[in-house]
Amino acid sequence: MVGVVIATETFKPLVLAQAKARKVDPHLIVVKHPVGGLNAEELVERIEAAFAGFQQEMNA
Amino acid sequence: MRIVNPGFGLTPAGAEQATEGKVDWLNDPIVLFGNSKPNARELLEGVKAKLAGIRRTDNIDFVAKNSASQGAPLEMINDAAKKYRIALLALGD
Amino acid sequence: MSDSADTEILDIADLDQEAWQDYAIEQGWSDGLPLVMPTEASVARMVAAAHGDNEGFAAISPRQVVPTMASLAANAVMAGAKAAYFPTILAGLRGILDPSYNLHGSMATTHSCAPMVMVNGPLRQALDINCSSNCFGQGWRANASIGRAIQLILLNVGGGKPGVMDRSTQGSPAKYAFCFGENEEESPWLPFHVRRGFAPEDTVVTVMSGEAPHNINDHGSTSAEGLMTTFAHTIAQPGANTVYGKGPYMVVVGPEHAATFHRDGWGVDKLRDELWLRARIPLKHISEENLATYAATGHHATGDFLTICRGPEDIHISMAGGPGKHSAFIPSFGGTAVVSTRVKLPPAGIGA
Repeated sequence: MVGVVIATETFKPLVLAQAKARKVDPHLIVVKHPVGGLNAEELVERIEAAFAGFQQEMNA
Repeated sequence: MRIVNPGFGLTPAGAEQATEGKVDWLNDPIVLFGNSKPNARELLEGVKAKLAGIRRTDNIDFVAKNSASQGAPLEMINDAAKKYRIALLALGD
Repeated sequence: MSDSADTEILDIADLDQEAWQDYAIEQGWSDGLPLVMPTEASVARMVAAAHGDNEGFAAISPRQVVPTMASLAANAVMAGAKAAYFPTILAGLRGILDPSYNLHGSMATTHSCAPMVMVNGPLRQALDINCSSNCFGQGWRANASIGRAIQLILLNVGGGKPGVMDRSTQGSPAKYAFCFGENEEESPWLPFHVRRGFAPEDTVVTVMSGEAPHNINDHGSTSAEGLMTTFAHTIAQPGANTVYGKGPYMVVVGPEHAATFHRDGWGVDKLRDELWLRARIPLKHISEENLATYAATGHHATGDFLTICRGPEDIHISMAGGPGKHSAFIPSFGGTAVVSTRVKLPPAGIGA
């Protein structure tokens, strides 16, 4: 199984540190912080960024 | 001078580097794994909607752990691992 | 927290006091305050005090490494603990490592939770753990260094570095040290640990991932009923984590309030039942956006209110403090449990 993780830039250090502790090498997509608290219009940019990141993973 | 390292610890037994297999990005089933934080589902479903333009989406499903503050139940993880080949996870806030 | 944790003994240059502090802070070992140097001799004295407790430890999250008794003792030394405190520190750590405590979640969360450490039993007095006036505050070596040692273990072995693996938005003063004892001597009720099935002569450490204490001031009420009105409405806060991440909370009743409850015939069970029924948040105090978010994750309103726990069993009552008309409640992180662990003491004659 392949795991792809979407995290905001704020949580990137946590994800990387966790991945190291758990000996995994995640496919990481970083989007702007935050995701929570955004209205639907504001969330569009995060979805675009996450989708672009996922496409990169698909094509890697 | 000699001191005791306060950060010293041993790697737990069985903690080995995880490996992943090859996947078919256009056809393999995908689980969208939400963390129960606000907008996590909307974010993942938004990505799914956009994926419709480039791959099949009838085998992309959303699941969520039932608490933002606790890890997903092992059963939920095992079920997902059996049923899907790719996991797209939302972490953090 | 050093990433090169594969060497238990470090051979470093001879350092004077000031240089040692600079070195330790550079290593990331400090909570910001000066640290006592963990020499081999001081660590050995600490380890000797734990000879009654020789079971292994689970890996500590979030870094996921297994500590040794020496690395734990090094943190206790650095915190300024006496060797005699070490068995109590270890019992607290064992509680924190219980899966129900959810250490990983409580370290990675943006919430301000810290390990609340409450001590019951005879060792409180032997170690001079403050249970009375200012019991949550400064001034007692045992309270300060037991709480601090646990925090340093979570930082240095567990890897809970603020801003990296400890993601708390604002943190809390409780993250320096949060240890107190129950004031069993002045309590009208059975000690907390005895109510949980331990023997009165056991020393027991109870931990919960909680916020710093919130004060409950009531100088005017002269009845249990009056006090309950104040307690319930102070506790029912829409900003509590437990609005949606249902979980336990601790009420630490001050001795004068406890005496009033007791005089009016209210025991611990009655207090819990009344708090369960009354400490609820009216929906009009919660934003529509939050209500929608809670509902989407399965947390629905019951009638015209939201509860902040799952039932009376989530409400924990203890008694601490000195003279005065104040009590406290300690909201939890939510996805955690209140875990009690008996302190294992070395056979007589061994250790400090």
